[in-house]
Amino acid sequence: MMISVTAQTALMSQEHQLVQEEKFYCKNIGHSPSLLYSSRVNDGICDCCDGSDEYDGKVKCPNTCNDAIAIESLKRNVEVYQEGVTLRKQEIEQAKRAIARDRAELSMLKREREVVGKLVSQLDELVQKLEQEHEEEENKMSEARNEKVKNKKSGPEENADRQIEPMKTSDVEKKRQSGESPSDQNEKDEDKNSEGLSREELGQLVVSRWTGKKTGEQVKEIDQTKNDQENDGQVDGYKESVADNTSRQSWLNKIQETAQSFLNMFSTTIANLDATQIRKEYNDYTSKLSDINSRISSLTEKFKHDFGKENEFYLFYDRCFESEQDKYVYKVRPFKDATQKGDNSETLLGKWDEFGNSHRYMLFTDGDECWNGPDRSLKVKLRCGLKTELTGMDEPSRCEYAALMYTPVLCLDEKLEEFKQKLESIDQVQEQQWNHDEL
Amino acid sequence: MKMKQFAFFFLLFLASQTVHSWKKDEFRACDQTPFCKRARFRKLGSCTLIATDVSISDGDLTAKLIPKAKQYHDQDPIKPLTLSVSVYQYGILRLKIDEDPSSNPPKKRFQVPDVIVPEFEGKKLWLQSATTEKLDGDIGGLSSVVYLSDGYEAVLRHDPFEVYVREKAGKRRVVSLNSHGLFDFEQLRVKKEDEDWEERFRGHTDSRPYGPQSISFDVSFHESDFVYGIPEHATSFALKPTRGPGVEESEPYRLFNLDVFEYVHDSPFGIYGSIPFMVSHGKSGKSSGFFWLNAAEMQIDVLAKGWDADNGILMPTEQSRIDTFWMTEAGIVDTFFFVGPGPKDVVKQYMSVTGLPAMPQLFSTAYHQCRWNYRDEEDVENVDSKFDEHDIPYDVLWLDIEHTDGKRYFTWDKLLFPHPEEMQKKLVAKGRHMVTIVDPHIKRDDSFDLHKDASQRGYYVKDATGKDFDGWCWPGSSSYPDVLNPEIRSWWAEKFSYKNYIGSTPSLYIWNDMNEPSVFNGPEVTMPRDALHLGGVEHRELHNAYGYYFHMATADGLVKRGDGKDRPFVLSRAFFAGSQRYGAVWTGDNSADWDHLRVSVPMILSLGLTGMSFSGADVGGFFGNPDPELLVRWYQLGAYYPFFRGHAHHDTKRREPWLFGERNTALMRDAIRIRYTLLPYFYTLFREANVSGVPVVRPLWMEFPSDEAAFSNDEAFMVGNSLLVQGIYETRAKHASIYLPGKESWYDLRTGTSYKGGKTHKLEVSEDSIPAFQRAGTIVPRKDRLRRSSTQMMLDPFTLVIALNSSQEAEGELYLDDGKSFDFKHGAYIHRRFVFSNGHLTSSNMAPSPPGNSKFSSDCFVERIILLGYTPGAKTALVEPENQKAEIELGPLRFGEQHGAAAVTIRKPGVRVAEDWKIKFL
Repeated sequence: MMISVTAQTALMSQEHQLVQEEKFYCKNIGHSPSLLYSSRVNDGICDCCDGSDEYDGKVKCPNTCNDAIAIESLKRNVEVYQEGVTLRKQEIEQAKRAIARDRAELSMLKREREVVGKLVSQLDELVQKLEQEHEEEENKMSEARNEKVKNKKSGPEENADRQIEPMKTSDVEKKRQSGESPSDQNEKDEDKNSEGLSREELGQLVVSRWTGKKTGEQVKEIDQTKNDQENDGQVDGYKESVADNTSRQSWLNKIQETAQSFLNMFSTTIANLDATQIRKEYNDYTSKLSDINSRISSLTEKFKHDFGKENEFYLFYDRCFESEQDKYVYKVRPFKDATQKGDNSETLLGKWDEFGNSHRYMLFTDGDECWNGPDRSLKVKLRCGLKTELTGMDEPSRCEYAALMYTPVLCLDEKLEEFKQKLESIDQVQEQQWNHDEL
Repeated sequence: MKMKQFAFFFLLFLASQTVHSWKKDEFRACDQTPFCKRARFRKLGSCTLIATDVSISDGDLTAKLIPKAKQYHDQDPIKPLTLSVSVYQYGILRLKIDEDPSSNPPKKRFQVPDVIVPEFEGKKLWLQSATTEKLDGDIGGLSSVVYLSDGYEAVLRHDPFEVYVREKAGKRRVVSLNSHGLFDFEQLRVKKEDEDWEERFRGHTDSRPYGPQSISFDVSFHESDFVYGIPEHATSFALKPTRGPGVEESEPYRLFNLDVFEYVHDSPFGIYGSIPFMVSHGKSGKSSGFFWLNAAEMQIDVLAKGWDADNGILMPTEQSRIDTFWMTEAGIVDTFFFVGPGPKDVVKQYMSVTGLPAMPQLFSTAYHQCRWNYRDEEDVENVDSKFDEHDIPYDVLWLDIEHTDGKRYFTWDKLLFPHPEEMQKKLVAKGRHMVTIVDPHIKRDDSFDLHKDASQRGYYVKDATGKDFDGWCWPGSSSYPDVLNPEIRSWWAEKFSYKNYIGSTPSLYIWNDMNEPSVFNGPEVTMPRDALHLGGVEHRELHNAYGYYFHMATADGLVKRGDGKDRPFVLSRAFFAGSQRYGAVWTGDNSADWDHLRVSVPMILSLGLTGMSFSGADVGGFFGNPDPELLVRWYQLGAYYPFFRGHAHHDTKRREPWLFGERNTALMRDAIRIRYTLLPYFYTLFREANVSGVPVVRPLWMEFPSDEAAFSNDEAFMVGNSLLVQGIYETRAKHASIYLPGKESWYDLRTGTSYKGGKTHKLEVSEDSIPAFQRAGTIVPRKDRLRRSSTQMMLDPFTLVIALNSSQEAEGELYLDDGKSFDFKHGAYIHRRFVFSNGHLTSSNMAPSPPGNSKFSSDCFVERIILLGYTPGAKTALVEPENQKAEIELGPLRFGEQHGAAAVTIRKPGVRVAEDWKIKFL
């Protein structure tokens, strides 16, 4: 049966229309029905599992709708999805709890900031006072020494340094006047020099134009990313020390007590204070405050992200997924970045950009530069699976990477229902056929 | 060593900085090429040779060329040259000039073998006698005149020597040689002690052991306004003058096969292929041609009017004459003059010398999908299934160099392509084919059997010292088979057997790239000129034909592989005169910009005019990323190229047709589908080329020889005699000016709207399509049912689109065969003629009867007949011989397009395409 489907409804308003799609309907009894491009009808290739697309009889198509393999795979899908849907729910529950915890932490941190902030400013005042006194004493003693150093300033080196700049620019100017651009010069240099190349070198020079290899691989030193990780580590360290909310409550109480005791100190005279002790406290609390601030900003940053409709991706935030393939270790850190690590190099494949296609893939962009190509990027397609794992790293287009990730988060209820229905319809038909045979 | 390495990497750095520029300096300009520079300085009339001892011998007119003036004693004696004029059927004069073998020159000069088809000698007319006449204005000078063909004569003027063909009536000259006395022939000689014959260029030294041996002469095309041909250049179709008044400094047109990285779109510079064949055309509506069979580097100047004015007029002033100047480094004079007079006659005459284009595999006339590189079997499967998912037809998937094991051709990368046969079978299940690349550079690797075999047999080209030439290409250190040698060609052909090419199946065909040959570390990225081939022939003498012999050997290999039953398909980048017999060519590594889209048309027209009918440009542009608009426009134009392939460099983004959003996918799908619906028409045109040499895609003036406005039009082109197509060559175009030639109307392919001929129309353009028209008076066969590939279309019914002219008449043809075997050579084909006149449409047989010993039959019906420009309002038609009535109604012009343009249609007339029938409109 031919039915007309307007596949390009959006285009209908166009003045000239492109050929409209006609589609063929396969009943596929015992299997799910499907729509087929009319180009597949009577083309000698069996497309519908019931063979109805080849009705002109030039080829004989066996009915494979009740194909055991197809049913098996459908059953397997149902199984995976059934378990996956449960796992997904758990994941969402866990995410909910984690969000609640993080929210609580954030509000706690804000309170801490207030308290500790106050404390730090008070300590600061104290320290200032102490220093003033100290300075006054010092000044008297050192005035005499300073006199001697004064004459030694503005040496000749500084002037010499400055003269280099204008010379450089005038050099370029000269070349311009003689009608040579700096790049012309480059080419000439290459020409001249290529004559001195060995035959192999010359061959490779020409190859390199095409492939960009050798010159192209812009591989960053590992150190760079190491530093980044260390920075993160600091935050994590703080997080661990304050991870438990109940113990933190008591900790906060303690600070408030300390604060009170300092306030009390103000009433006593400065002379009685232990200067070293105060400085130490001041330093400790300043660094604590900065830790709190950085934790607040990192949590605030985290909450800005889109974690999906049910925040199902929330737990991905601090995770790092790895996959080993062809000499490389790929690391994908959702909401952060993705890297490719070789023997002695690490390449940034991309920084977190966004989810795409209603959370069906993760996009990392703006990675390390690629010779004669786009900056590296990675698209991680998400599929339903019982374990969260990264596989199938690929580079379909130069410097545009793609990977697959299985995760229960993608095991959607609707999909499960769809598979179930298909399976049911097959079962029904099989039953009917069975009954029919009995008659 | 360390230092050198450093310098090398520094250079690589520089190279990467300037990567998007044509390396002009790497190639030799004329003034860096001694023979060219010297020739260009030659003065008018400086040739003092005269023809003596003129006689008829062995059916030829022969003579000796000697200097007129007495020589001084201290000069080297100038030895006489031998000259012969032969005459062949259809108005072809062959002029040969060589050194006299009896004067014992140091070396026999090279004559290019295996280009002239063996049948040609059989067409020789044996001259019996020459008449001698004294021409007006020649004081004492005599001329010998011989018969050439009905209405034409060949003339050898003795003093000064000049050869030309002329019309018998009126003595009008057609093509002449040495009319300006620029002829020069450097004879081989022994080196003098103080002489230095070496030539150096960019660190390369050419030992030139045989010294100077160049040849140059002038050729004039009379009553001509334009000259065309001599590909391959990325420039206008009508060749612009390169010297003379009003011409700024320009290089001559260079014919030297080179692998030019990122060639520019408007330059007389030589690129991948060379065909030293020029065609002229003029207001008289007449064409003539000139072909020089010589495979050494050639440079050709087209001279602007008045170039000879300063030097005193040697020839009577003609209103229309194009003078040209031809120079070559080595070889002999072996030239062919073609009298025409029609453009198609010239092409036929040329083809009778170099052979007719091969009949291609039907699948190869459909759409090809290529990329450097589809990286593994999974990628191949994905791309293949995406075409189905988007319902876009395609026929061939291509694999570039990365599919091999380390660029060792005939091998597969075991990791990426572990199951090549299975992969090909999967494609075959959908009626599709695969093409893999096989280049001439063979990796010098002792564990590589092909290399071991070639080196043990001594089958490689040798360097000047006699060792195997060792050059650098994709695999690194490489050597090149000496395909000049027929024995080596036959060895190479064997490598394509299923036994030798492991992993190949009958659905696998071949792509020859880099066969200029490309040598990355050679002078001008090619082989040194002093490299040695069979029989001590220097590479300089045959350079331009290397790729031709390689293409030939590969195509022969595919024929052998299929027991002579399967037509080969081999795409080659390099080519020479005669390459049309072996397969298709493409215009090499173009770029993704509008200028390259534009120049693809004149390039394809030039190729078609000089025999290479089966040609195309990479759709999308090889280098760079086309924006979606450019890509769509390229598909719309490419759908009318004879060879239609999308291809891309590996640094570019993926650009398969479904990657640019739904709208663009729909546009590209539509463009590709148009090609598929027109496949029966294209295939009929490929057959026409195969029997007559007339190219599939032709310049307007080939169909309208007297329409002056069409002479320099290379924006538009004809597909066969029925369709006119013009690309859109700029971004966001709203309008286009299109010249429609002739007196009859033209029908827009999409809307059926008619436009007057002989006028330039300013038309609105949309993104949907490029302007394309059917000429009134023609009938175009189509197959409108869309399929996955051409294979599934074999049994589909036909649609005939009849565009009536002002006298309500039209005619067209349809050629059909099995699409793959050689049985058509024995009569297994269907060739129909459809004629509409007096309100009757008749189908009649065009195949010679009785047919040969094998037959091809088809049960295909005609499912629709569409009439454009039909005025009498008949309601019914009578179909004979069954005498059945058929309704005449309004139906869509394009199949399945319910809201599109409508046209008078007969649905299901119930006639078979292969039978005789008549439909009367009542």
